[in-house]
Amino acid sequence: MDRKGKSLFETVWTRMDRKAGAVIELTIRQLMHRISTWVVLGVGALLMALLLIFYIDSVRESFEPIDNDGDSEDNDGDGYPMGQERKYGTPDWDSDLFPGASVFILESDIDWNDADRSEFGNKSWEGSAFFEASWVDDQYAGEWWDSHVDWKLNQEGIPELTDCSDWELEEILDAIRADACDLGDDDGDGMTTYYVAGKWRGEGIATVPDNYYLSWGFWTEEVYVEPEPPEMYINEDGIDCFDAFILRGPGWEDSRVDCPSEARISGSHGFDDDGDCLAANEGNGDDDNGNGIRCDVQWIASNGVVTRIEADDLVDEDPDEQEYIGELGHRTFVIAVGKMAFVILLGLFIPLFLSLGLVRDETENGTLHLLLSKPIHRAEFIIYRLTGYLAISGSYVIVLSLIVGLISSILGPGDQLIRISDIPVWIGIGAATTLVLAAYGSMFNAMGLISPKYGVYLCIVFGIWEFMMGSFSILNPNWTVASVSISHWALQMIDAVVLLAWPDTIQWAEMDRAFEIDSGLSVFWQPPVHTLGTASAGIALLNSLAVLLLVSVAWIFIAKSVFSRREIM
Amino acid sequence: MTMEQQDPPAVLIDQASKWYGQVIGINDLSLAIDGGVTGVLGPNGAGKSTLFKLMMGRIRPSQGSVRLFGVDPWKNTSPYRRVGYVSESEKLYEWMTALDFVTTLARLHGMTREEATERSAHVLEFVGLTDVMHKELGKFSKGMRQRVKIAHALVHNPDLLILDEPLHGCDPLARTSIMSVIRELGKQGKTILISSHILEEIERITEQIVILHNGRLLAIGNLHAIRGLLDKHPHRILINCEDPRSLANLFVTEEPVFGVRFPGEGQLEIQTNDLSAAHAVLPSIVVSSNQKITSIENPDDNLDSLLGYLIKEGS
Repeated sequence: MDRKGKSLFETVWTRMDRKAGAVIELTIRQLMHRISTWVVLGVGALLMALLLIFYIDSVRESFEPIDNDGDSEDNDGDGYPMGQERKYGTPDWDSDLFPGASVFILESDIDWNDADRSEFGNKSWEGSAFFEASWVDDQYAGEWWDSHVDWKLNQEGIPELTDCSDWELEEILDAIRADACDLGDDDGDGMTTYYVAGKWRGEGIATVPDNYYLSWGFWTEEVYVEPEPPEMYINEDGIDCFDAFILRGPGWEDSRVDCPSEARISGSHGFDDDGDCLAANEGNGDDDNGNGIRCDVQWIASNGVVTRIEADDLVDEDPDEQEYIGELGHRTFVIAVGKMAFVILLGLFIPLFLSLGLVRDETENGTLHLLLSKPIHRAEFIIYRLTGYLAISGSYVIVLSLIVGLISSILGPGDQLIRISDIPVWIGIGAATTLVLAAYGSMFNAMGLISPKYGVYLCIVFGIWEFMMGSFSILNPNWTVASVSISHWALQMIDAVVLLAWPDTIQWAEMDRAFEIDSGLSVFWQPPVHTLGTASAGIALLNSLAVLLLVSVAWIFIAKSVFSRREIM
Repeated sequence: MTMEQQDPPAVLIDQASKWYGQVIGINDLSLAIDGGVTGVLGPNGAGKSTLFKLMMGRIRPSQGSVRLFGVDPWKNTSPYRRVGYVSESEKLYEWMTALDFVTTLARLHGMTREEATERSAHVLEFVGLTDVMHKELGKFSKGMRQRVKIAHALVHNPDLLILDEPLHGCDPLARTSIMSVIRELGKQGKTILISSHILEEIERITEQIVILHNGRLLAIGNLHAIRGLLDKHPHRILINCEDPRSLANLFVTEEPVFGVRFPGEGQLEIQTNDLSAAHAVLPSIVVSSNQKITSIENPDDNLDSLLGYLIKEGS
């Protein structure tokens, strides 16, 4: 009970509550009766629906496993993927050479200056020799390409070659190239001697002329090697994280941890799982990061947070899309939608349509007389009107952000039904947008009061400034000029909330950049700037919150000063 | 109009002036009003609306002071708890029902929703709109709209009611209805200020009037007293009849009549210095003339001639 014996319910504060309730309710109902309100809110919902469709589409594509290094392809058409051919040491540009294919094993040779210049046996030969043959293989095509001798066998299986039995030695050596000629059975043992220069297979005695060369060996049996499915060579070189102290030694597989690593340790991580970096010649891009270790990934941490990742070429170059690109793409979508669609677009357009005329229109419509003839102070009136506007616009963006958040967190990567860790981020986005709506709302309302006629143009100019500063702020939050904008602080708030809800986002952004995944995360998100030197996301969040509230209050105060002095005709 | 009460008067204006650039709205006006129905008369542009806007804290006096119940309404909204105001503005929230509208505005006085609804239904009944209180205001006639505005001004049972041209643009039926509402309120002992530029309207409601002209207070007091002054002023009575000349013969013998004129066909103009006396003899002469009279008009019995007279007297 107060001095006048009135109950607590009848005190000034309670009456103020009731007045506030009445003006807020009136404002909400007025706004709901305007078509422009529904148009702007409808367009906002439509925009979000389109973004979700775009997300669903891109999620389907990006989660599809992608062969980032292209080694699942079979370029020579021999049925074996490039990765398998690399493993077996066969090239992927020759269909004759494939895993399990027959290969030539060199046994020995007669060099130009060897003393012993004869060799007997059933072999594959290459070079120049007088060959006293007991058998030749006219189908021989064992080695690659050229210089195979054509024996021109007749129907009885006897070679029909040029007769060179009466030629001079010099003449024979000059004339016969990749060919053979018949010298006849010069020693009468029943076996014909041929001069052969090229590649052939046969059994007999090979006698190499002085200063000529002959090598021989055999072809292995061809074995069947099961072609591996191309899918084996997709996502086969993922991003690895190791315990820094057990690198590459025995048991390194056991020291693997999820990336980004919980331990977030700096040092040499990464392993060339598919061996393509190690297979490259030494010094040829196998130590791009220059840490003295071939084919690894260097993680650099500061205060227990990985701030830079430097990878050697062809290491961890084919990560699992579901695991990495999916996660990166999802976070990029959430942050980009939060910043661009919610803060910048909805944050600017809703107040432009809803708050500019909050008080000004009452004056112009002539209905202000009705309200101001009641015991309500003009400043109170502004605050209640803005509260009514915020009740509509704020609940709209919070509900919209939760709907978009819920759908995207169901569709997003991960085994769980809903990505619970997304929810705080979406709540943060809703809250940041609401604060932006409050700041722009109070500012646009003030501009409508300062200049009822030209206020809209002032707001448009200001909106363009905010849009530009917001865009610059996304790309480079360190740019000082951008901090003279409301959007900058709201975007900072989202950056801070993201880091609080997903503390490993710094690593993800670094991985995105280092492994050239190009999801855009490192473009749309950077660690919050205004941490007062603490590098704490919490401080950044409080800072942004304080600035946005302060701006709102300042504009309410400006509007109040203008409105209180205004004479209403 | 009494100033001897302990409580500050409902309205106290002390040497207030208001200029809009070069244009004078109110010029050095002093006024105290407390209790009863007071008509504020003046032609368009006399300063009636400026006076009301000053009282309602819409505008600030360029000079002097304005107090409602002892408080400056420009700086403090507390007097509005005891004031009901009907502005000249026609605009209402067209999409609201009458009950909704009055209830919403009642809640601005700090009433609960239930309390406001109950009070609103009551005042709508008082102004005779119970039947249509659930109808949208957009569908209301001019007279109904004025009554809704009066209802919203009455909903918190104010001590002072300020009505800016409440009869403006209303049809005769609506006027009668609104006038009876105002008379009833006057009987209830409220202080009521009602502005108009039509003398007859005010005359039917109150005898206590304030006359404004060019922003100045021209006269204040009882309408009869002012009218008495007016009666001493040469007046004309215009009679439309079948035979003006025979009727003129009957009039010239009467004392209050000092001259006659025939301004048009079938028209007789009687000139008098005592309008009341002339009107007193008029019925018997008309009867004795035994001819058909189509109309009797007092072309000088209006605000303009009253003002003209007062201005002349004042100068």
